Order: sequence, then C-alpha cells, then structure tokens
Amino acid sequence: MDESLLVTQLIAGDDKAFRYVIGQYQTLMLSIARAIVGDVFADEVVQESWVSVYKNIAGFERRASLKTWLLTIVSNKAKARLRKESRMVSLEQLDGETPGSYLDSANFKRDGHWQNPVSHWNNESPEALLEEKQLQACIAKTLLLLPPTQKAAFILRDIEQHSFDEICSLLDVSAANVRVLVHRARLTLMQVIDRYQETGSC
Amino acid sequence: MLSCKQVATLASQYLDHDVSTPLKWRIRMHLMMCANCRRFIRHLQITQTVTKNIKVDEQTPDSEKIWQELQQKIRQESKQD
Ligand SMILES: [Zn+2]
Repeated sequence: MDESLLVTQLIAGDDKAFRYVIGQYQTLMLSIARAIVGDVFADEVVQESWVSVYKNIAGFERRASLKTWLLTIVSNKAKARLRKESRMVSLEQLDGETPGSYLDSANFKRDGHWQNPVSHWNNESPEALLEEKQLQACIAKTLLLLPPTQKAAFILRDIEQHSFDEICSLLDVSAANVRVLVHRARLTLMQVIDRYQETGSC
Repeated sequence: MLSCKQVATLASQYLDHDVSTPLKWRIRMHLMMCANCRRFIRHLQITQTVTKNIKVDEQTPDSEKIWQELQQKIRQESKQD
C-alpha cells in the first residue's frame, strides 16, 4: 500500500487504515517491547503505543518512514516503562550464555584451533535449502524460542534490514552488544541447519 | 595469527563488513590457511541467506480486537479529562 496515502488516511481518522497498520506492525512492535521490558509488560506497552500513535498521527512529519516512527514510539514507551519499574535487567540476565553453541570453549583446543572439523553440509545451495519446507519450519520455531533481545536484534537486522545504529537506539543496547546478539542468534540458527543436514529433521 | 576461535567470534562482523581493514586482512590470512574456518564462514553466510527469507509465523495479530481495546482506552482517557 502506498505509504503517503496510508498516512493521509490515518490522519483523516480512517479506522480501516488503522486496523491495517495494526495488522502490519503489531508483531514487530511486540518483539521490541519484549526485548526491552520483558514479557510481562510488553502487551501493555504496545497498547500504550497505539494510543499514542492514534493521538499523535496528525503531527507525524513524514521525515522518517511510518515504520521507523512506530518503532521509535514503542521503543520509547518501553524504555520509560523500564525506568518506571526500575527493574534494570542486564543483557546477561536477558540473554544468558548458550552452552553447546559454536563458541563454547569445549569446541576449541587450547591453542584456539577447532577441536573437531567443522561438519560438512551435503546441501550448500541456499536456493535448494529454501525449498525444504521442514527446514523452514525448524528455523521459524527456533527463531521464536530465542531470548527476547537476541530475537528482536536478529529480526531487525537480518529480516527487517535495519542499520546497527538504529537497532542500538531502538533496543537500548550498546553497539558492541547488538553485534554479539545478532551473531549469537545467527549461530543458533546455523546450528539448526547443521542438525538438519545431518539428520533431516530439527 | 588469529585463532579459529577468534575467527568464529568475528565471523558475523566479517560478513557484515564491520571490521577494520587490518583485522579484515588478518581474518583473510587465516581463511587462506584454514579450511575449517572457510567452511564455517561459508555456512554462516548460507544461514544468513536462508534465514532472511524466513516467514516468522507468529500468531497473526487480531487487529480488530486490538482496535476495539484501543477505542475503549481512548474513550476512558477522554472521560477522565
Ligand atoms: Zn581456523
């Protein structure tokens, strides 16, 4: 849908347009809220955000895209809520180490070389892998189970293609941490493909 | 020379072109010598291509319900004013 037309309809108070935008962005907004304040407050934060969107859409200046504007609102609401609950959760608590991942020290010799050879993949064609319905399901399932901050960072970066700078400010994590989060998420998903290559299932 | 562990840790940044030039060359040097890390990086790149096309089928949001709740909330707030 043409964004400029959509914004015009929203400003005019068109409730169909509003429902459409909710359908488009609710899920992504929820992942951001969960990444910042956790599951318990995420739904409320997103609802507050929609109220704010509804009240302030007339002032939307179209300098940023509608999506960026929405994500900024939910990010700010979530950060405000986090301060209010004064529940400072560290990144470590949200996204603890994943034992058994590729970066586990057990996978390396003392000199830092691989303990065992990196496993062979019979199928190295992304196009062919994308045809494998079961693999798709395995990846989607694993993605949903990632710790919230990792999941949001991964979705924003690799699926929604946001810049690292944007992700840092949306999720309120440092530049270094956001890279670590994305890397961990990718490695976990790579492990899914690894297992699939070996066993043909999740 | 970088260790395999260091290369594995930096792999995403390397693929994202997010390392300094000297570090990039040190990684390339390692990759020239190490078939395992070459494979690791290649697999990570394939993973990126495959996962960026994934459909995240979380429950589709119930826009109607969210919209109704939103309307209710706005009515409540305007009553309080
Ligand atoms: Zn190596």
